[in-house]
Amino acid sequence: MNASKTIEKTLVASPERKLEADADLDTVRQVQAGDVAAFDRLIVKYRERVLGIVYNMTSNREDASDLTQDAFIKAFQSIHRFQGQSSFFTWLYRIAVNSTLSHLRKNRLRSFFSLETIREEDPVSREVIDALTDKTGVGRETFVRELQEKLNDAMQKLSINHRTVVTLFEIEGLSHQEIAEIMECSVGTVRSRLHYAKQLLQAELQPYLT
Amino acid sequence: MKRDTDQKISVEDLLRLKRAERPPAEFWATFESEIRSKQLSAIVNKRPWWDGISRVVWAAHRHSALVGAAAALALAYVGVRYVGGTAGIVASAHTSVAQPATVAVAAAPAASPVARPAAVPEAAVFAVHEAAPVQAPVLAASESHITQAPVTVPTESASRSPFSDGIVITFSDIRELAPDYAQRAIFGSDRDFEPASTPARAPKADPLAGLDPAAERRARLLAPALPAYASGSSRAVASDWMKTRASSNERMYESMDQGPSDRMLVGFRF
Repeated sequence: MNASKTIEKTLVASPERKLEADADLDTVRQVQAGDVAAFDRLIVKYRERVLGIVYNMTSNREDASDLTQDAFIKAFQSIHRFQGQSSFFTWLYRIAVNSTLSHLRKNRLRSFFSLETIREEDPVSREVIDALTDKTGVGRETFVRELQEKLNDAMQKLSINHRTVVTLFEIEGLSHQEIAEIMECSVGTVRSRLHYAKQLLQAELQPYLT
Repeated sequence: MKRDTDQKISVEDLLRLKRAERPPAEFWATFESEIRSKQLSAIVNKRPWWDGISRVVWAAHRHSALVGAAAALALAYVGVRYVGGTAGIVASAHTSVAQPATVAVAAAPAASPVARPAAVPEAAVFAVHEAAPVQAPVLAASESHITQAPVTVPTESASRSPFSDGIVITFSDIRELAPDYAQRAIFGSDRDFEPASTPARAPKADPLAGLDPAAERRARLLAPALPAYASGSSRAVASDWMKTRASSNERMYESMDQGPSDRMLVGFRF
C-alpha cells in the first residue's frame, strides 16, 4: 500500500499541489487584471524553491540569484500569456529551468562553485551528517564542507539534462509528470534520465555510501 | 525517530543534504531590492520591435481557429472573384461573337467624334460626346480585360475616359489633315481606341474529315496493277508516287559504274 502511494506520488502531482495551483491561478488573474502587487506574493512564495533549483543546477550562488530574478521578471513580462492550462509553478519552473539551461550552455567552460550553508533543521539531513561524521571520525564542520564539495562535483559531472532531472526530482520533490511538463519531454525520458543519473552519482559518491 | 547508524546511506539521502542548503536571511533582502529595480526597469523600458510581432503571433495562435476561418473565407472570396472575372471575360467574348450586330451598334458612337468638324471647340466636343451615346446598354467587347469586370456597361460615357476620347479626336484630326499618313500605321493603329467588332467565325471544318485513309492507301497500292482502282485524285497520287520511285531507281542505276575489272562501284547521291 505504501509502495503504491509512493509510486503514485512520484508519477502524479499531489492533491495539495493542485489546491496550490488553484490558489495561484486566482493570484495570476489579479496580476493580469493590473494588480502588480499581487505578483509580489508569488515572488515571496516561490523565490526559495526557484533559487534552490537554479542553485543546484549551477552550483553558484551569484548566478543562481541573477537567474532567479530574471526568471521572475520574464514571468512578470509574459504573465498575460499565461492561460492556466498548466499550474503557475510549473510554468514558472519552466521559465527558470530554460533560462538556466541556456545560461549553462553559454558558459559551459566557466564554472565557479560556491557553497551555501546546510541548515540542519531538517532532521533527515542532520541524521545523515551525524551518521557519516561518526563513521569517519572527522570534525563535523570539515566533513560537511567536504561532503558539499563532493556533492557539487558529482552533480557537475552529470550532463545538464541529467542534472536538471535529479534536481527537480530528488531535491525539489516534483513528480515525473511535472518534470516532463517542465522539461517538455516524455515521462519515459524523465525516468531513464533519472536512472542513469543515479547510477553515475552512485559511482561518484561511493565512499560516502555505507 | 532516530536514524539507525547501521542503516545504509543512499544517494537519495546525500542529495537530501542539497535540499537543506539555504542562503542566509540577508541574501533575501538584497534579492528583494534587486528584483524590485529590475521589475521597475522592465515596466519602464521600451519593448523591442520584435515583441510586437511575437504578440501578434501569440494572439493569432490563441485564436487560431478564427484566423484560419478568416483566411479560408478570404481565399474563397478571392477565388470567387477571380473565377467570376474570368467567366465575365469569357462571357463577353462569347457574346461579341454571337451578336456582331449589337457590337456594330456599339461602334457607332465611337465613330461620331471622327466626323466632327475641326473648328468645333473641345469643350463642345466633350459636351456632344457626352450627349451622343445611345442609352441602350453597350457590350464591353472593346474594353481591355483588366477594366472589363461586368459583361455589359450602361452607357459608353461611363466606359470611356476623356483621355481616350481625346486621343481619338487627335487621330481623326491627323486623318483629316494628312490622309496618307493616317492610312499608314506610323503611330500604331488608332483602331485600338474604337470598339472592335469581331465578325462571327464560321465553324471550322476538319480537313481530314472527308478522307478515308484505308481507301486512299488501297487505291494507291492497287492502282498500278488494277487500273479500275485508280480513280481521280488517288490515280494522280499513285502516278506521282510511281514516277518518283522510277526516277530514284534511275538515279541509283546511273550511279552504279561498272569498272574495268569485275568490281562494281556504287555511289550514292543525296
